[in-house]
Amino acid sequence: MVTPMDTPLLEVKGVSKTFDGVVRALDDVSIAARQNEIVGVVGENGAGKSTLMKILVGVYPPDKGELCYRGRKVPFPKNPKEAAKRGISMVYQEKGVIPRLKIYQFLLLGYEDKYVKFSRLQIDKMKKHAREILEELHVKCDAEDFMYELPLSTQKMVEIARAILSVRLERGDANVTPIIILDEPTAPLTVEERRELFSDILDMKKNASFIFVSHIIPEVMEFTDRVHVLRDGKLVAHYDSSKEKITEEDLFRAIVGRESSEYIYKPEVKRVVSEEVVLTVKNLTKNGCYYDTSFDLHKGECIGIFGPAGSGKSEIIKTIAGLISFEGGVLIVRGQKVKADELPHVRLGRGIGYFSGETGKELFLNWPIVKNISIVNIEKILLRKPIPVISFNAEKKMAEKIVKKLRIRAPSINTDCYSLSGGSKQKVSVGKWLERSPDILLLEDPTIGIDVGAREDIYETSLEMKKSGISMILVSDDPKEYSILCDKIMSIKDGRIQKVLSPENLRKVMAA
Amino acid sequence: MKILGRNRLITPVIIQTLKAHPVILALIALVVMFSGLYPERFLTPLNFSTILRQLVTLTLFALGPSIIVVTGSLDLSYVGIWMLGGILVWLLMPILGMFSILVIPLLGLATGLLIGVIQVKGKIPSFILTLSLLVTYWGLTATLSGGYPKPVRGYEFITAPLIPYLPTAFLWSIPIITAAVFIMNRTRIGTYLYAIGSNEEGVQLAGINVDKYKILAFTLSGLFTGIGSIILFPHLGSAAPVELLLDNVVWPLVAIVLGGTPLVGGSGGPQRTILGALTVAVVWRGLLLSLLQPEAIKLLVGLLLIVSIVVGARGLKGVTIT
Repeated sequence: MVTPMDTPLLEVKGVSKTFDGVVRALDDVSIAARQNEIVGVVGENGAGKSTLMKILVGVYPPDKGELCYRGRKVPFPKNPKEAAKRGISMVYQEKGVIPRLKIYQFLLLGYEDKYVKFSRLQIDKMKKHAREILEELHVKCDAEDFMYELPLSTQKMVEIARAILSVRLERGDANVTPIIILDEPTAPLTVEERRELFSDILDMKKNASFIFVSHIIPEVMEFTDRVHVLRDGKLVAHYDSSKEKITEEDLFRAIVGRESSEYIYKPEVKRVVSEEVVLTVKNLTKNGCYYDTSFDLHKGECIGIFGPAGSGKSEIIKTIAGLISFEGGVLIVRGQKVKADELPHVRLGRGIGYFSGETGKELFLNWPIVKNISIVNIEKILLRKPIPVISFNAEKKMAEKIVKKLRIRAPSINTDCYSLSGGSKQKVSVGKWLERSPDILLLEDPTIGIDVGAREDIYETSLEMKKSGISMILVSDDPKEYSILCDKIMSIKDGRIQKVLSPENLRKVMAA
Repeated sequence: MKILGRNRLITPVIIQTLKAHPVILALIALVVMFSGLYPERFLTPLNFSTILRQLVTLTLFALGPSIIVVTGSLDLSYVGIWMLGGILVWLLMPILGMFSILVIPLLGLATGLLIGVIQVKGKIPSFILTLSLLVTYWGLTATLSGGYPKPVRGYEFITAPLIPYLPTAFLWSIPIITAAVFIMNRTRIGTYLYAIGSNEEGVQLAGINVDKYKILAFTLSGLFTGIGSIILFPHLGSAAPVELLLDNVVWPLVAIVLGGTPLVGGSGGPQRTILGALTVAVVWRGLLLSLLQPEAIKLLVGLLLIVSIVVGARGLKGVTIT
C-alpha cells in the first residue's frame, strides 16, 4: 500500500530472552522482513530460531526488544490472535493439520462467528469464501475434501492459506500483506514434494512476505531473498543474495561457526579395519526416501553417509535400525538376510544399536542417570539365583564407571536426567551404548546441540569403541564429524549415493 | 547430645520420605482430624479393624491396575474379573469341589492376556477397552447367575479370624503385595514397565520389545487381580455378586492416584498404592462415622479423585503430559 519499499514491513530489534534465568536463548537479535520477500532464518538446532519465532507469535514474551510494524512501534503480541492483528501468522512444523476436518472447515477454523446468521452456520457462504481463497492463492484442491486426503505438500499449502486468511480476517483488510512464518516446512516431505511446495510458495510471494526458518542450506540458498544466521542465540551474519554472491560453504561456516577448517582428524587412529564384513546393504530402496543404496560395513569400520538434510541419509540409518522398513533390496547382518519389517529389538538382538542425539528422545528424563544407563544393560546386572533379580550394587558400579569414563558432570549417579545439561544428557545416552557395546552402532547426529568439550569427549569415546572392534555408521549435519570418525564417506543427494570419499578427500572438498 | 545426634540422622530421612510420599501428610492430618472430631467413635479397635478390612479390599483391587497405570495405560477390568470369577466358582463347585476357586486367577490371567493382545495389536485406548470388558463380564455374570447373587459355602476358612481385630485377609494380602512390589522394583519386567510409562519411544530405541512388555503388563495385572480375588471372594461375603457397584470401580482408582501414581505413567507403582488405599480407607471410615448422608460422602469421594488427579498430574518432571 503506501509503505515505501525500503521501510521493512516488520522489524524486530534487539530481542533478548532468557529461560529460567540461566539459559540465554536469544541475545540482542534483530531481523526484518520486507514487503513480498522471502527472508530466511537459519541456524543449528538450539540456535534460537524457534524461540525467536515463538516470541513473534506471542507464545513467549521477550525479556527485551522492540517490534515495529510498518515502521510504527507496536507492543509484542501475547497470543497468536494478537500476532495476526499485527500481520504475523505461523505455520508450524508439524501437528498443524486437523486431518478429519474438511478443507473449508479447516481454513475458517476459529472464524466461524463471521458466518453465523440467526445462530446457524452459513455453510454455503463458508464454502464459497474458502473456494475464493484457494483459487486466489492457486492451491489445487477442492474445499469439500477432507484434509487427510491431500498430499502432504498441499496440506502445507492449505495451512499457509489459512495463515494468510487469519491475518486478513483479524485486520479486516483483504489487501494487507501478511507475514507468514514457515517453521521447517519441508521436514516431513519427500524430495519431489519439497520442489512442489517451493514453487507454490514462490507463486504466493505476491500475496505475502515469508519468514522461512530452516537448517537445510540448499533450500535456503535457493528460495530466499535474504538470510539471517543465528548461532547460540546471537545474530552472527546477514546476507542479501540480491547484492552479494554467497556460497553454500559461506553459509555453512556462518551457521556452524568456528571450526569449519580446524579438523582434529588424526590419521594414525584410523583404519584397523578387518576384512570381516558385518553388514551388507545391497540395492536398498525406499521409494520417496532413498534408492539403490549399496555398501559393505567391515568390523571396526565407520562409514559416514553425508548429504544435506532430506537427502535420505537419516532414512537409511533408521532403516538399518529397524525404525522404518524398506521396500526393495537386501540387508544382510553378519551373514543373515533380515526381513524388511523387523522391529528395533530384533535388530538389537542381531547386534545393531541405534543412538540418536535428538534431545529427550532416548532418555527417560524423570529417571536418575544410573537407571538410564542400565536400561539397555539389564542382562549384565541380574543376579541369576533363584530368580533373576536386579542387583542395585552392580547397577551402581556400572553407572559410576561410565560417569567417570565419560566425565559426566552431575552431582551423583542418582541425579534425575532432566536437570542435566545438554552435553551431559548426550553423554548418558552414549554411555549406555558404550557399556552395551553392540557389534554395529548407528549414530545419528550424535553431538547435536552440545558444547565443544562434550563433543570432544563423545568423539574420543566413539573412536575408542571403534578401536575395540565396533562398526559404526554415522549420519550428521556436521562435516567435521565425518572426518574425525569415519574411514569412508558416501555422499548422498536426493536419495542416491553420489560418490565415496576418503576423510582426506572430504576435507579437501570442504576446504575448497 | 545423644538425642541431638539421633535427630540429625532421623530428620533428613523423615523429610525425604514426606517429600517422596506427600500423601503421608494427608493421612496423618486425616487421622488427627477424625480423632479430634469424634474420638469415641474413631479411636476404637473395631474401627481400625474395619479400616484394615477396607484397606484389603482396596489394595487387592488396585494392585494389578497400578502396574498398568505405571505404563501410562489404564485397566478397569478388575471388578469384572472378581464378579465373573465368583460366578464361575459357583458353577464349577459341583464338578471341581474346593479347587474351583483356582478358576479366578486363571480367568484373571486369560483376561489380562486378552486385553494386552487386543490393546497392542489393535492400538485401542486401554481405558475404553477395559471398560467394555468390565461391562461384558458384568452382563455375563448376570446371565450365568440368572440375576441373583449365589452364595458359595466352604471358603470361609481362608479369612477365618486368627488374631483379634486383625483381619486374616490383611495377612494374606501381605505376600501378594510384596510380590507385586518386588516385580516392579527388582526385576527386568518392572524396570521396562516404568520405562514404557516414562518414554515409550526411548524404550523402542533402546531395543526393547515394547509390545511384549505391554502385553505382559496387562497379563500381570489380570493375574494379580485374580489372585487377590481368591482372598476378596470370602472377604466380601462368599457370594457370587451380580450387581456392579460403581464404588468398587472408583475407589481403587482413587487409591492409585492418591497414592502418587500419575495417570500419565512412568512413576509411582504398587508400593505407593498401599499408602493411597490406606488414606482412602481412613477417609471412608471417617466420613461414614461423621453421620453424613451417603450421597454427600459420594460427592466428597468424587472431589477427592479430581483433586488427586490434578495434583498427581503436575508431579512428573521431565515428562510431557499429552
